[in-house]
Amino acid sequence: MINIALNISLIIFTLGVCFQIYRFKKYKNFLHVETSTQGSQKNFQIKAFLLNTLFQTKLFKAGKLRWIFHFSLFTGFLYLIFVHALHDVTSLLFEYYEPTVDPFQFLRNFSGVMVFMGCIAFLYRRVIHYRIKHDKRIKTKGLFSILLILLVIGSGFLLEASKIISEPVFIEMVEEYSDIDEETGLEDLKIYWKEYYNIIFSQQIDITDKSLENGQFLNEEYCLSCHSSIRSAFVSNTFAKMLNPIGSILNSHRLDSKLSIIHYILCLLLLACFPFSRLFHVLLIPFITGQKNITKETSNTSKGIIPSTALFACTNCGYCSRVCSVYPNYQITGNKDVLPHSKIESVKAMIKDVSSENWERLYQGNSECTMCHNCTDICPSGIDLQCLWVALDTKLVQMRHCENIRSVKDIPLNEWAKNENTIESLLSKDEMTSNLADKAEAFEKCVQCTICTNVCPVVEYNSNQNDMTPQQVMNLLRLGKKHLATGTRMVWSCLTCYSCQEHCPQQIRVTDIILELRNSGEKSAGIINKTQTNTEVHI
Amino acid sequence: MKLAYFPGCKIPFYLKDYGISFEAIMRKLDIELIKLPFNCCGYPARSKNFEVSVLSSIRNYALARKYDLDIITPCKCCFGQFKHATYWYDHNKDLKKKIDSLLNREGLFWDGSTQIDHMLSFFYNKFGINEIAKRIQKKLPGKKIAVQYGCHALRPFSITGFDNPYAPKMFEALLDVTGVIPVEWSKSTECCGSPAFDSNPKLSFKILQNKIKTASEAGADYICTACTHCQMQYETEQFKKQSNHHHPTPLLFTQILGAALGINKNKLSEKGDLTPILFE
Repeated sequence: MINIALNISLIIFTLGVCFQIYRFKKYKNFLHVETSTQGSQKNFQIKAFLLNTLFQTKLFKAGKLRWIFHFSLFTGFLYLIFVHALHDVTSLLFEYYEPTVDPFQFLRNFSGVMVFMGCIAFLYRRVIHYRIKHDKRIKTKGLFSILLILLVIGSGFLLEASKIISEPVFIEMVEEYSDIDEETGLEDLKIYWKEYYNIIFSQQIDITDKSLENGQFLNEEYCLSCHSSIRSAFVSNTFAKMLNPIGSILNSHRLDSKLSIIHYILCLLLLACFPFSRLFHVLLIPFITGQKNITKETSNTSKGIIPSTALFACTNCGYCSRVCSVYPNYQITGNKDVLPHSKIESVKAMIKDVSSENWERLYQGNSECTMCHNCTDICPSGIDLQCLWVALDTKLVQMRHCENIRSVKDIPLNEWAKNENTIESLLSKDEMTSNLADKAEAFEKCVQCTICTNVCPVVEYNSNQNDMTPQQVMNLLRLGKKHLATGTRMVWSCLTCYSCQEHCPQQIRVTDIILELRNSGEKSAGIINKTQTNTEVHI
Repeated sequence: MKLAYFPGCKIPFYLKDYGISFEAIMRKLDIELIKLPFNCCGYPARSKNFEVSVLSSIRNYALARKYDLDIITPCKCCFGQFKHATYWYDHNKDLKKKIDSLLNREGLFWDGSTQIDHMLSFFYNKFGINEIAKRIQKKLPGKKIAVQYGCHALRPFSITGFDNPYAPKMFEALLDVTGVIPVEWSKSTECCGSPAFDSNPKLSFKILQNKIKTASEAGADYICTACTHCQMQYETEQFKKQSNHHHPTPLLFTQILGAALGINKNKLSEKGDLTPILFE
């Protein structure tokens, strides 16, 4: 029965891993934007791979406290798997392996505590981390795995406790490993074990010094080689003491055998869920860390090469958003997709279902990224996030989603001018600007002397592509044609070199005005895009 | 002396050499650089969202204020943006109120006491050219250098207060002490074309070509920059294809000064592959 269950879980596990690999292959080309770049990512970094897999060095750099808890969970879990769960195989390595002998008995309890602490720290962080808490998509991620691990650990401790107090187990063991019976001092041994190993017997036994002495002798003769002091099982022993009042009832119901089935099933469940839950990061992160990150030198050749596995190696730790350079953009616009931890979730959603995401939010957010490399540097999973953002940007443009600024440039000036009334009715007045383009005193002093035009490098180098000159833009403002001025090429090809403003004999803030026009043009373009997509039939 | 080091967003990935050489010369000059968890200066957001750009700078100011440090940056665009943000923070009361409340939420505040300096203005006005001259260990060979001033620090003078916007002299004066010879270059204060690099590559390249041509005509062997974006512009692939033996190549100010201060060339760039001229 148990063997069948084990085989089923192993099959699910293998199929799950195959399914994941298939999925990564399927998504592989989603963010590959350039084709002729095979082979540039073949380098595998063995040192980084080993260090990050065994010691989680990247996490150590990112956050010491979190590393302590993660590492304790990691080592505890590793010990439990190799020495405890797989003891049929690994016990061959240790000459005197018995689950109830020190150091194994102690280490099992100790690892259990380490794993438990790691899980509790994870849950605690979930509760206090406001960015994770307030994001619906990642709020519950990883909880299942952690709770399952907690259940496995908890059931393990309870199982050990129930075995400690169990009378039936004691009787079985005595029958199997000794020839003691009622006549040769079984009562004495019972007394000794009741006293020192916390077994709970159903019938009352009186303790006398003599029987204790005899019990100790028998214990040393038959049991001691396989049973260290019960005190080293410090957690289970405490549980056993707590179960004392109801011990005999539990023993009569054979709690230990029931718990051992539960514990076993939970472990199999953990195994079966491995490929489908957060636990899978155990395989993904080492794989990703081994990949070489894009450098400045390779960025031209390997632009946009990002393994789809990278997306799924994200553990939503949120360190990236803590160091994100454009955090103030989020503070003002409230667009979560500025922040890497949220962007990566949006990309994942987009890969699964292209129509599901709020595109505008994603491309606005991604276009505000300054490519400062902070998120890539800190990512404990070693994901090349910066490369991902570059690939994403290219992908979004390919899919014809682009920033408002880009679309302003695509609209011819006469088309743009037609929207004047719509814009003026919809564009709300914004006080949080430099307040120049709407105020006559900012530009009315312009005498059309053409000095700004004469010093403008855009006019000098780009005269055939440019429609207006700075002085003409100022004149449009004087004529009250702010909307028209916003759409001119001059505004959008301005280099913001401030030559015009510095040279203006009337002290007009020409460049600042142009920048303000860009700001409002950005908003107008957003409105135009929206009204157009509303009226057009979406193909 | 302690200063908060503001590298800007491009140095950590696109221009590591600038950061490495800047930190090396600062160590040599006994100036301690403190790295704070700064955000973007706000320059990239200036064309899109005025509020964001001002908040970004002020938030950095407030962060430096928390540690009672002044800020130094090797990037002229960052420097200009900080100055602009200061101006508009003082001139738009509504915006000021909003930013103050946002900072307050994070336990930050700014009272206007933090100063921002560009590396050049810091050396020229605060550290002193004489102090630098004292520490020069070897005069560099007299190569001719054209200097790229960088628009966003230079203009508008009323806001940045960097140097005379029509006839600046700070950069040349600082180069003089190292032994190289700055040349007269008519396009010294003109834009390098970097702001149009993404949005209008043709224009950007045209400007760049013209700059190289005129610098070459002015007799320059190298173009020296002290701004992340200018340097990146001169280092673009297209430029490298254009430049052959006859064209001046870009050099960072920090690398020239570093060589004159006797810093090993391995400590002035990531790969240690600096032009040997400086280390002869």
